[in-house]
Amino acid sequence: MRHFLVMTLFAFLAAVVFGTVAKDHDRDRIAYGFKVFAEFMIIGLALSWILYFIPF
Amino acid sequence: MQKEKSKELVKEPTPPKAWLMGVAGWLVPGAGHLLQGHWLRALLLGGAVWVCFICGFLMGGHLFRYSSDDQGFSSILQIPPMIGNLGTGLLYIVCWVLGVGFSNDSQQAALATFEYGWTFLIIAGLLNYLAMLDAFDIAAGRKS
Repeated sequence: MRHFLVMTLFAFLAAVVFGTVAKDHDRDRIAYGFKVFAEFMIIGLALSWILYFIPF
Repeated sequence: MQKEKSKELVKEPTPPKAWLMGVAGWLVPGAGHLLQGHWLRALLLGGAVWVCFICGFLMGGHLFRYSSDDQGFSSILQIPPMIGNLGTGLLYIVCWVLGVGFSNDSQQAALATFEYGWTFLIIAGLLNYLAMLDAFDIAAGRKS
């Protein structure tokens, strides 16, 4: 659970910065921030499940 | 037609204010935007960097620095993470001057969050580089 919380915190902080810096309009920034957050979380969870099944 | 193209390609000189804002943003996370009146951006960007840095320490992370005492490639391998850490500006410099946060003892390394900690400290610096470039671009008029 601790690992998941740390990953969520990292995804949130990175999404805040990426969303603030990347786009020109507020609406686009918020959408991009959510997109980055979701990408980090989904890719993180997918990688963790892939690594879970690798026995070494 | 050719002249028009060449005119478009001529770069306008970067105003000194932009360099100043970039340096301010690097030294104190969020300061580059705050000095330009973008307080919400300053709060979001600076806040994210500060939170990342503090969480890194709370997780038991440590900062990196180049040390010629290390043998072989070990000293060279300290440089890339040190560049990441340097992105936090004064936070890193103050820690370096006070000698705080560089210790890497076995008790600290035994913490479950030890590696998350130093990763967060590097990420804080890298995120601040982005914030610094954003402050620079705004001051240079390349971004709204």
